Amino acid sequence: MSGGLKKRIASLCGKAFPVLFALIAILAFASMAAAAESESFANPAVEARLITAENGVGPDAASISAGLHLRLGKDWKTYWRSPGEVGLPPTIDWTGSENVAETNFLWPAPKRFTAFGIENFGYQDEVVFPIRITLSEPGGPTRLNARVSLLICSTVCVPQDFALSLTLPRASGIDKDAATQISTYAARVPDDGTDSGIGIETAHLDASMTALTVTARSDVPFEAPDIFPELGEGTAFGKPDVRLGQGDRLVWARLPVLAAAPDLPELQITVTDGSRAATLQPALSDAPPEPPFSIAAVVPGMGELAWIAAIAFLGGLILNVMPCVLPVLSIKLSSAITSAGQSPARIRTGFAISALGVLAFMWVLAAATLGARALGLTVGWGLQFQSPVFLAIMFVVLVVFAANLFGLFDIALPTSWQTRLARAGGGKGYGGDFATGAFAAILATPCSAPFLGTAVAFALAGRSIDIAVIFTALGLGLSLPYVIIAAFPHLVGRLPRPGQWMIVLKIVLGLALAGTAAWLFWVLTGVAGQWTAVWVGALSLSGVALLSLRRVPGMARVLGAAVLSVVSVALAGYLSDADKSTAVAGTEWAEFDRSAIARHISIGQVVFVDVTADWCLTCKANKALVLDRDPVVSRLRGSGVIAMQADWTRPSETISRYLESFGRYGIPFNAVYGPGAPDGVVLPELLSSEAVLEALSDAGSGRAAATQ
Amino acid sequence: MNRERRNTLLVVSGVAAAYAAFRIAPGFGRDDLVFEEIDDPAGFQRLTAGQSSSGFDPFVGLETQEDADNLAAAEIRARQNICAALYHDLPTTADEVPVASFSDYYCPYCRVQTKRLAALEAQTGSGIRVSWHELPLLGETSTLAAKAALAARNQGAYPAFHERLMRSPFQATPEYLQSLANDIGVDHARLVADMDSDQVLEDLEISAAIARIFAFIGTPAMVIGRTVIQGEVSERTVQAIVAREREEGWGSACRVA
Repeated sequence: MSGGLKKRIASLCGKAFPVLFALIAILAFASMAAAAESESFANPAVEARLITAENGVGPDAASISAGLHLRLGKDWKTYWRSPGEVGLPPTIDWTGSENVAETNFLWPAPKRFTAFGIENFGYQDEVVFPIRITLSEPGGPTRLNARVSLLICSTVCVPQDFALSLTLPRASGIDKDAATQISTYAARVPDDGTDSGIGIETAHLDASMTALTVTARSDVPFEAPDIFPELGEGTAFGKPDVRLGQGDRLVWARLPVLAAAPDLPELQITVTDGSRAATLQPALSDAPPEPPFSIAAVVPGMGELAWIAAIAFLGGLILNVMPCVLPVLSIKLSSAITSAGQSPARIRTGFAISALGVLAFMWVLAAATLGARALGLTVGWGLQFQSPVFLAIMFVVLVVFAANLFGLFDIALPTSWQTRLARAGGGKGYGGDFATGAFAAILATPCSAPFLGTAVAFALAGRSIDIAVIFTALGLGLSLPYVIIAAFPHLVGRLPRPGQWMIVLKIVLGLALAGTAAWLFWVLTGVAGQWTAVWVGALSLSGVALLSLRRVPGMARVLGAAVLSVVSVALAGYLSDADKSTAVAGTEWAEFDRSAIARHISIGQVVFVDVTADWCLTCKANKALVLDRDPVVSRLRGSGVIAMQADWTRPSETISRYLESFGRYGIPFNAVYGPGAPDGVVLPELLSSEAVLEALSDAGSGRAAATQ
Repeated sequence: MNRERRNTLLVVSGVAAAYAAFRIAPGFGRDDLVFEEIDDPAGFQRLTAGQSSSGFDPFVGLETQEDADNLAAAEIRARQNICAALYHDLPTTADEVPVASFSDYYCPYCRVQTKRLAALEAQTGSGIRVSWHELPLLGETSTLAAKAALAARNQGAYPAFHERLMRSPFQATPEYLQSLANDIGVDHARLVADMDSDQVLEDLEISAAIARIFAFIGTPAMVIGRTVIQGEVSERTVQAIVAREREEGWGSACRVA
């Protein structure tokens, strides 16, 4: 070895010495700690080790407190002794252990995981399963040899099978860390109710095994209770409907039975609430306990409400660019452009009042909804579009506006009025501003239905406060453009100057309005009948024609047009055959019965489910254009097909839950079941004859969902 | 004036950002599919969906030397024509993309995945053909259930068995299988006999061999065309991959080795 190299090694040793020393210290410490824990098994999903509270087996010690410590990676879970519908609990094979007479594996209270409609119970992040080990020879050296089988799942389920071993010599002393970990989780193991103070009052299983109803009581108010029943391996329960009562001292819960095994062992129920839990074996009672209160719909949390309000706000904002609303906004803006000379204050107030108009209409709608609901009437978004009178009014207004934009006539106020208004200063036309806003909101209703189905269905089935919040958010979103101009009136000044382009714009906007009018005409045809629509159309057009006759004096024109409009609206109400048309049943629909679906499928029938409501325009369109027409109608009436209709016009929990099972909160909703599609195939919201026929034949032909 | 201008700018850029977010949001996650070529078997690629599957031992369950030998032999058979092993002899055209699904009846996410795939396949014009593989990794009851489903195929009842086992919580005891056979209307004695038939064992071995060839760490797993996917993925991802496979031609992976 050369001198240089020696020197280098020496200097390296000199530098390395403190590091070495530290390493030795750590190793020594580690080996001390290792007395109470096994080597760990680790992969990216789980780190597992066996720990004991004792550093060794003390003199005359008859048992040891051990624990299986699992640290799970992000999103990984493992399961409770009853894992839910599927999943596997951890098991340990102690073969090869020495001085072990008996082991008792304890299960800390589980958490509920719901993913894609499958309920699982288990643990995430970290868990210690406390294990009580009884020794065959008290005080003797012990070897724990645990072969652990474990299922861990994230989006993939990976079975784990590994061995952990731990040798405990004769020694005394406690490993504080391990002892704390074990005792922390031992405290989470459900007790028999003594310490947790939880008792079960009643438990009822109905004869047809559809649901388990439980009430539990505690002197300390419950905070966030959950219920985990166990009734053998072949029985599974769905998500519980939990309600608190009597100052939160009573828990009432109803759990649907998803599947029941033929022979049932004794019922065992675990009630968890925060850090306390109890497992009890209640006797079954004869009658189901009454819930502490009944709820018409599931009460949403604040977060959910905020989320829905945000959707409503965004929806309202988007509505501004919908074909039915855009013209209104544009008219408002173009009027601001032409009168660019207006003072910022005038523009500000004008737009603020328009925004208020939007909100006011929304509030009127909310109040009307609440009032109608209080009276037990049918309520719904878009409901007004079933009234021929409303449709006629809207049609007339739109036609007049469109004609105005096409330049057929100018709406000019008599000179005397103009001077009077001008004298009133900036006050001119605030009523018009308000009306513009309200008009935009009214026009928005048909467009909003498909976009805001979720928010509105939620609102209609919800509490008064939900309705108020959602309609306000909707109004705020819709009025945002007005609010922006109101906040920054000079933005109007940035808009391009009037010129040739404005005539083009006017025509484009006029076309958009005319398009909306045509759509309303079509709806009117459907609602009130062809002849009514023709009459309304003819009268409105002659009104417009009269208005554009420049030779007739202004006053006479306006009066004549007004009379024609009133007559057409009155005719719409008078001639309407709306009542008759709704009574015509195109298809013989059976009452919706979710439980009967499986029965029909089992005998090879195809079931077509249509969830509809009186206020759902798209449903009506589906019905008129597809379901009530050949070839679909004859197929639905044919043998082997059961057509079921669920009417969601009024809130129904059964239907809501059914929709929820498909992750839907709005309608139209159509599904087809059959031997080939036992779980149902959901059809698109806008139906087509081809889609319906194909789904029907696929579901029926036994071209099975799970073909080999 | 300056302040007003700044305000204006803020509002305009805010609205623009909101609009942009609105336009872009629905497209999130559409093109973030990342693939990694597989060396062996060549021609296939793996979807690396942000999750690493390295660091796991190949799945457990090989108890004896005999099992290991059988699996090694099955692997050789499977490699002779990997596509036939994966997709059976499905009549696939260029428009149709084959999908091989690997699942276990006791794995929660398998339920989600198989339901989704079955629904997708049932959709008209989906352009996919699914071949179902049983990969029982979760102990004896899993194996029993898998064997029963495969045995039911001899009586044309695989879909019914598959569907029932995927739907209900169960313990695949002989008694349960008896009642299931009665419900579905298959001959129980024949079912039990077929459960240990050579054909069923061969199917299980081939599926296990494919799982080893593609280094699956657990269930569910899928191969869509030439893309290997571990774990449950969204329907949109499945559809995106199916579309890619159709465009890019999955057949390139299927030249007989």
